Amino acid sequence: MNSRGTVSNALIVCGALLLIASGASIARAAIARDAVRARWAEIEAGRAVAGARLSTSGARWSSARGTPVARVMIPRLGLDEVVVEGVGDDELRSGPGHMIGSALPGDSGTSVISAHRDRHFHALRGIAVGDTVITDSERGTISWTVSRIRVVRADDPALDARATPTLMLTTCWPIRYVGPAPDRLIVEAVPK
Amino acid sequence: MSSLGRAALAAMLIVGAGTANGQITTVVAAPPRKTEPAQQAAAQKREQAAQDSVARVTMTGMKEWVDSASSALAIRPDTVPTTSDTALGTPRAAASPARRSDSSETVRTQEPTAEFKKGARAPDTATLIPAIALSGVALILAGVAMKRRERLARSRVRR
Repeated sequence: MNSRGTVSNALIVCGALLLIASGASIARAAIARDAVRARWAEIEAGRAVAGARLSTSGARWSSARGTPVARVMIPRLGLDEVVVEGVGDDELRSGPGHMIGSALPGDSGTSVISAHRDRHFHALRGIAVGDTVITDSERGTISWTVSRIRVVRADDPALDARATPTLMLTTCWPIRYVGPAPDRLIVEAVPK
Repeated sequence: MSSLGRAALAAMLIVGAGTANGQITTVVAAPPRKTEPAQQAAAQKREQAAQDSVARVTMTGMKEWVDSASSALAIRPDTVPTTSDTALGTPRAAASPARRSDSSETVRTQEPTAEFKKGARAPDTATLIPAIALSGVALILAGVAMKRRERLARSRVRR
C-alpha cells in the first residue's frame, strides 16, 4: 500500500473515531435524559400519592445538582423537558438546567433555565412572542406568555434580576451554528 | 577476724557498695520515668487527635444528614425579599449559600459553573458535538475521495 492509501485510510479511521465519540456523547445524554425523566415521574407519582403539591408536607423534594426541579413545556413547539438543578456540563447533558441562585418558576424574581441548542432547546428556533410556556415545579403549574425575544453576545451581562416573576429561557445562537456559538438567545416570559 | 577475713569483708563491702550503687542508679534511672509521662502525653495527644478527626467526620456526616433531611422535608425559610431590585432574596437564593458551605458541596462549587446574580451572563450552552460530528464526516469523505482517486489512477495505469 502506498503512502496515499495510508493517508486515506487514516482519514477514514479518524473520521470514524470522531463520529463514534460524538455518537457516544449523544447516547450518554439520551441515557441521562431518560434517567432524569424517570426521576421526575417518581416525583410526580409521589405528588399524586400525597394528593398535594410538592410544597406541602409529606412530599419529597431535593435541590441537589442534577436532580429534577421543574418541567418546562411549549405546546406549540412540542417542547417538553425536565429541568435539572445547575447549568454545568453534567447537568446540561441530561436536560435543561435551572441556574443556581435564580428563582424557581413561580417565585418572585427571575428564573433562568438554559439548555444546549442542539439538544433540548433546539425547538426554540421557532419561538415567537405570544407563545405559551408552561412550567411545573414545587411552586405549582404556571402558564407564561413569551413577552420578549432577544439575541445578545455571549459575554453580555444580559440576565436581569427582576422583582416580579420572570422566566428566561436561554440557549446558544445561531441555533444551527457549527462550533462554539458566539451569541445567546434569551426568551423572556411573564405569567399569564 | 583474721587479716584475710578483714580483707575479704572489705572487698565484699566495696563490691557490694558498688553493686548497690549500681542497683540504686538502675532503679532510680530517671530517663525511663521521665519519658513515660512524655510518651503517655504523646499517646494521649494522638488519641485526642484521632478522636477529633472522628468527631469532625461525624459532624460533617451529621451536617450532610441534616441538610439532606431538611431538603427532603422541603423545610425552607419563608423569607421575603427586602429589596425590590434583586432576586437573590428568594427562598431558593437564600438557601444556596448555606448549601455551598457543606463539605460535599465545596467540591462541587470548585467546578466552573455559573450562578445567577444581577447582570449575569447567559450560561455557556455552547457545545462542540455538532462540530466534532461534522469534522468526522468531512474526514471520512476526504478519505473516501482519496481512495477513489487512487483506484482511478490505478485503472488508468493498467490501461
